[in-house]
Amino acid sequence: MFRNFLKKSIFLVLAAVILLMLGGCSATTRDLSSDDAIHYDEGYDFSDKKAIVNNLVESLVNKPPLVARYDRPVVIIYGVANRTSEHIETDGITDDIRQEIMQSGKARFVNKVQRDNIAKESNYQYGGNVSAETRLQRARQIGAEYMLTGTLRSIKKKQPKQMRLTKKTLQYYSLTLELTDLQTGIIEWTDSAEIVRESSKPFIGW
Amino acid sequence: MMESSQVFCKFKWVCLLVCMLSSVISGCASGKLNQARDAFYSGQLDQAVEALSDREDVPTRDQLLYDMEKGAILHHAGDYQGSIDILLNATALIQEQDVISAGQQTASLVTSEWITDYKGEYAERLLVHTYLMMDFLMLGDAESALVEAKQALEVYDTFPEACSADYFTRALIAHCYEGLNEINGAYIEYKKLAELLPDPSPVARKLCDLGRHLGFDDEVEHFRQFLPEAELKRKGSQAGELIIFVSQGESPVKIPHNIVVPPSIRFSFSTYKDRNGYLPPPSVGPLSGAGSSDIISTDVGEILKASLKERLVQVIAKETARVVAKEAIAHNINDDNLELLVRIVFFLMEVPDTRCWETLPAYLTMIRVPLSEGSNRIHLNIMGQNVTLPQIDVIPGKGSFYHYYSIRNGNVLYPLLGAPQSGE
Repeated sequence: MFRNFLKKSIFLVLAAVILLMLGGCSATTRDLSSDDAIHYDEGYDFSDKKAIVNNLVESLVNKPPLVARYDRPVVIIYGVANRTSEHIETDGITDDIRQEIMQSGKARFVNKVQRDNIAKESNYQYGGNVSAETRLQRARQIGAEYMLTGTLRSIKKKQPKQMRLTKKTLQYYSLTLELTDLQTGIIEWTDSAEIVRESSKPFIGW
Repeated sequence: MMESSQVFCKFKWVCLLVCMLSSVISGCASGKLNQARDAFYSGQLDQAVEALSDREDVPTRDQLLYDMEKGAILHHAGDYQGSIDILLNATALIQEQDVISAGQQTASLVTSEWITDYKGEYAERLLVHTYLMMDFLMLGDAESALVEAKQALEVYDTFPEACSADYFTRALIAHCYEGLNEINGAYIEYKKLAELLPDPSPVARKLCDLGRHLGFDDEVEHFRQFLPEAELKRKGSQAGELIIFVSQGESPVKIPHNIVVPPSIRFSFSTYKDRNGYLPPPSVGPLSGAGSSDIISTDVGEILKASLKERLVQVIAKETARVVAKEAIAHNINDDNLELLVRIVFFLMEVPDTRCWETLPAYLTMIRVPLSEGSNRIHLNIMGQNVTLPQIDVIPGKGSFYHYYSIRNGNVLYPLLGAPQSGE
C-alpha cells in the first residue's frame, strides 16, 4: 500500500518536473507597449531613449528662444556624439528629437542627411529631361538659423571585489543638448536629461 | 540476479567514464582552429579565414577562441569590418561568461578543464579591445574606437597586475581620446603611460603638446627634458601624423606539464613557452625635417605570462580540488578491478588546458611619425626588412590629420584597403 503510494508520488513529481521543464523551454512571444519602461540590465535601451528625448524636447520647445518664436525657425541637427563606453547608435536619438520638435510645430529642419540626393535630383532636373516649367529653382534652399548638437555620456561603477553572491553595477547616463545661433555663435539654450540605474547580476549560474 | 545488476552497475560506470574521456580528448583536437592557425602562419590568410568559415565547426566551449583567432586573422587580412563583427561577439561572450557555470565547474572536477568554456586570459580579454580599437581606427570610426578604449580601461582597472605592461594598448587608448579632441582624457592616459614606461621619452612629445593646450606649464617643463634633440629643433607645427601598428613574430603558446604522484595521482598544469627568440624593434628611417618618431612596444608574451601568474592561486586550488574529488571517487569503489579501471581513466582524463589565442604576435608596436606639409615618404625597418610605405600627401586643412597603417612581420599586407583613413 505504502509502496504504491510512494511510486505514484515519485511518478507525479517527475511528471511535474518534466512539464515545468517543457514549459520553460517553449518559445514565446508577446507584444509590449513602447511606452513601457523595460530594462534587462543596466545598459542603455529604447526606454531610456524615449525618456531622455521627451524630457529634452519639452524643455527645448517651452523655453527661449523657441517658445517666443512663432515663425518656425530652421534648425540643422549635427548629431549626438557618443562618449559612453557602449556602442550606441545615436542617430536614433536625433531622429526622435527631430520628430518630436516637428510635431510640436516649433521649428523646421534642414534635411542634412539627404543633401547629396537633393543635389543629385537637382542636377537631374537640369540635365535636359525635365521641362523648364516644372523643374525646381536653384539657390532657393533655406539656410539654418540654429544648430542642434548634443553629447551622450556615461559613467559606470562596479561594486568593489568582496565575498558576495551577486555583483552590483551602477550606471549613469546623461544627454546634453545645445541650441546654437549660427549667426552669433551663441548657445541660446542647453539642457540635459539624466538616468541613473543600479543592476545586480548573480556570480553563479547553471 | 544480484550479480547481473552489479555487472550492469560496473558497466554503467565504465561507459560514463569512457564517454567523459572521449569528450575530453575530442575537446583537445579543435581541428579547424589548428588548421586556421597553420594557414595563418604560412601566410595563407584566405585559407585561414576559410577554415573558420563556420562557427559550428568549433565546439561551444571554444567559441571565444574562435572569435579571437578569426578576429585577428581578419584584421591582418585587411577585412577590418569583418574583424569588428567577430570581435564584438567576443566581447559579448566575455560579458556573458562573467557568471560562473556551476554545472561546468562541477563536471570539470571529475574530468578536466577542457570541458569548461574558454574564458581567455586577462591579457587576451584586453587585446580583444586592442584589436577592435585598431579596426575602428583603420576604418576612420574614431568614435567607436573611443568606446572600445573605455572598455579596455575597465579591463585595466579589473586586472591591473596582469595588464600593466601592455604599453601599446595604453598608448592606443590615449590616442583614441586625442583623436576625438578629448584632450583632458588623452593627457591623463599619456601621463599614466609615462609613469609605467621605463623611460617616458616616447610620450614626452604628446605630453608637452597636450599640456601646453591645457595650460599645465610646470608639467610641460618637466616632460621637455625627455624630448629628443630633433624634436627640440623642430620648427612650426606638424601637418599630420602617421600611426603604424606593427605586429611582429608569434606569441608564446601554452605547453602541458604534469606531476605524477604514484600510484595514480596526476597534477596537470600549463605554462607559456616562447615561440620566438629576440626580435629587434622596428625603426624609422630619417624624416624630412618634421621632428622624430615615437615607438611604443608591448611584449605580448610578458602580459600573457603575467595573466597566467595572476590566476596561479585559482589554478592550484582547482587542480587540488580535482585530485581530491577523483581520489575520493576511486577510493570508494569496493571492486579492485573497477577501481583500477576508474583510476586509469581519471589519470588519462587529467589533461592540462593548453587553450590560448595563438594568432597573437610576439610584439605589438605603435610607431608615430610626424608628417610635414606636402609629400612624405616613410621608410621602415621591420625584422631586418626594409619597407617603404606609399607616398602620403598632406595638404593642411584638407583630408585627415591622422593616417593609419597595420603591418605584420614587415609585410604591408593590404595597405590601401582600409588605410590610410581619417582619425578626425
